[in-house]
Amino acid sequence: MTLKEKLEILADSAKYDASCSSSGSARKNKNGIGNGAISGICHSFSSDGRCISLLKILMTNCCIFDCKYCINRKSNQVRRALFTPEEIATLTINFYKRNYIEGLFLSSGIIKSPDYTMEKMIETISLLRNKYHFNGYIHAKAIPGASEYLIQKLGLLVDRLSANIELPTENGLTLLAPDKNTSKVTEIMSFVKKKKSKVFTPAGQSTQMIIGATSETDLDIMSKSSNLYQTYQLKRVFYSAYIAVNKDKNLPSSKMPPLKRENRLYQADWLLRYYNFKVDDLLEKENPNFNILVDPKADWALRHLEEFPKEINKASYYDLVKVPGIGPTSAKKIISSRRFFTIHFSDLRKMGISLKRAKYFILCDGKYFANISCFQKSFITSNLILEEKEEKKERVTQLSLFYEGK
Amino acid sequence: MYIYDGTWEDLVKVISWLLKEKRKPFQIKEETQYENNLLTPPFKPVINKENVIAKNYFPKEVLKISYYVFLSNEKDKELIIYYFLLNSLKYQKNVLYMRNLKCVNKALTISNRVSREAHKWKGFLRFKEMQNNIFFAEFNADNNILGILANHFKKRLPKEKWVIKDEKRDILCLYDQKNCYFLEGKEIKLDLNINNEEKNMEELWKSFFKTIAIKERVNKKCQQNFMPKKYWPNILEMEDEQ
Repeated sequence: MTLKEKLEILADSAKYDASCSSSGSARKNKNGIGNGAISGICHSFSSDGRCISLLKILMTNCCIFDCKYCINRKSNQVRRALFTPEEIATLTINFYKRNYIEGLFLSSGIIKSPDYTMEKMIETISLLRNKYHFNGYIHAKAIPGASEYLIQKLGLLVDRLSANIELPTENGLTLLAPDKNTSKVTEIMSFVKKKKSKVFTPAGQSTQMIIGATSETDLDIMSKSSNLYQTYQLKRVFYSAYIAVNKDKNLPSSKMPPLKRENRLYQADWLLRYYNFKVDDLLEKENPNFNILVDPKADWALRHLEEFPKEINKASYYDLVKVPGIGPTSAKKIISSRRFFTIHFSDLRKMGISLKRAKYFILCDGKYFANISCFQKSFITSNLILEEKEEKKERVTQLSLFYEGK
Repeated sequence: MYIYDGTWEDLVKVISWLLKEKRKPFQIKEETQYENNLLTPPFKPVINKENVIAKNYFPKEVLKISYYVFLSNEKDKELIIYYFLLNSLKYQKNVLYMRNLKCVNKALTISNRVSREAHKWKGFLRFKEMQNNIFFAEFNADNNILGILANHFKKRLPKEKWVIKDEKRDILCLYDQKNCYFLEGKEIKLDLNINNEEKNMEELWKSFFKTIAIKERVNKKCQQNFMPKKYWPNILEMEDEQ
């Protein structure tokens, strides 16, 4: 098998992992090649609109597990391949020198045992770090069930370590991935949380959930994420819209991945992390799924119109970020500017703050953007839905959610 | 009309002198660019230590933003920098928040534009290995970001020899595993025959690029949003798309 064929097989099997970010590590170049860029750098965008920053591959797609949703499950008849450590190292270095990539994302199917697989991965990454003196970004997957001392070893070599939770509930996992269990994944997470330092996974850990393969509601998913963020201090939870690659009686047969739902989950995820929202603010038991027509923050604002309109010149930081269309960057700009002058609508525009959605929810120096009698739920709702449709036409939904952000 | 020699250092000197002398310029232009005009003859001030405001009087952040404006392709960038620095004398660091002032807003917006373009090219630049083992890359940017890129790759690829070329301005940066040298296109002739291995490596990258896309999610519009067409001529994997 040629190197090109191997690369095709092992990139093809790695592509379902949503994580692409290369941020959070400022690793210095110590007399070798490469360094980390703290903000992350996107090197290309594939035709599905996702950012490419890392050489994302599996070490092998051979696997002793038989997870029903996975293309590489043991019982599938697919071509199998295995990279040698040297092959991965030279590919990474050669791609890096040409500035195709920011670094390596290495995951793997499980061969022989979790420990054996991890040892092979460690061998590969050691080769890169020690023989090739590679100081670029490396994100590795920890293999659930591997011994702690191996996770310790791997964590010291990489910038980010992650273990995928795969499904939002234990029931889902038992149904679709009978060889896996949640506790093995969370054991890794608590170990990484405990050890994290400047030299051990400086860019922290992340995880991923498959959306739409099992019957969980958005409330179940968000509760899980919120719990993961709090318990293990994860940097990111990635959501991956389920794509039917296998047929099974326990799997939905739909051909189209639920992309809109995935998008709403990402939006809500940001609200949890940077906007001080709680899951209960966004969803409730009687209404456990996100509104497909408007984004979660606008949806919340429309249900709490009594809190609006907010005066831009007085509202606190956390009140400002509750305004649809205003995020942390804009809120900080507003707060630092209004110490020096009274902000009017034209000033917001000058600051580069989009008023498209925000204008319905704010006052500037006591003034509303239109006649204040327009401040009504029906008027705002219909306009927001129109805006979203417009936006979809010109900008398409994946948005900048695949960027790590600050 | 005041003139400077086209370098950042000289521009700062001239502006510092204008500020010290409390002169309001009508225009500040690069020596080579001014058009002879009898009504406003060019004036090149004689500068010494006593008649300028010391550079360290300006806050660091303010100078950095001014420098990025200097690298931009904005027509009246020198005047924008002048007014920006003028305001920074009055407001010091706080000038960064005074977006209601036109010149401040302009300076911040332009500097942002330059740093965003540099960031994009840090990702999109593509090197090819030549027969002489030198890595070569070309780019085509609106603003003069060669210095920013050179600095970035100097830290990243210190043990390679590389050349980065700004096609539009026809200027190059040569790096010899130690120092960066900035040259004009006419000063050097490059042997651009590519290494035998290079085609192979390019094929590997292109096939990775194709494979990594999920066909059930294809969204070319989204791709183009993040990677606008103007970058494509310099992005290897987009060659076949055009």
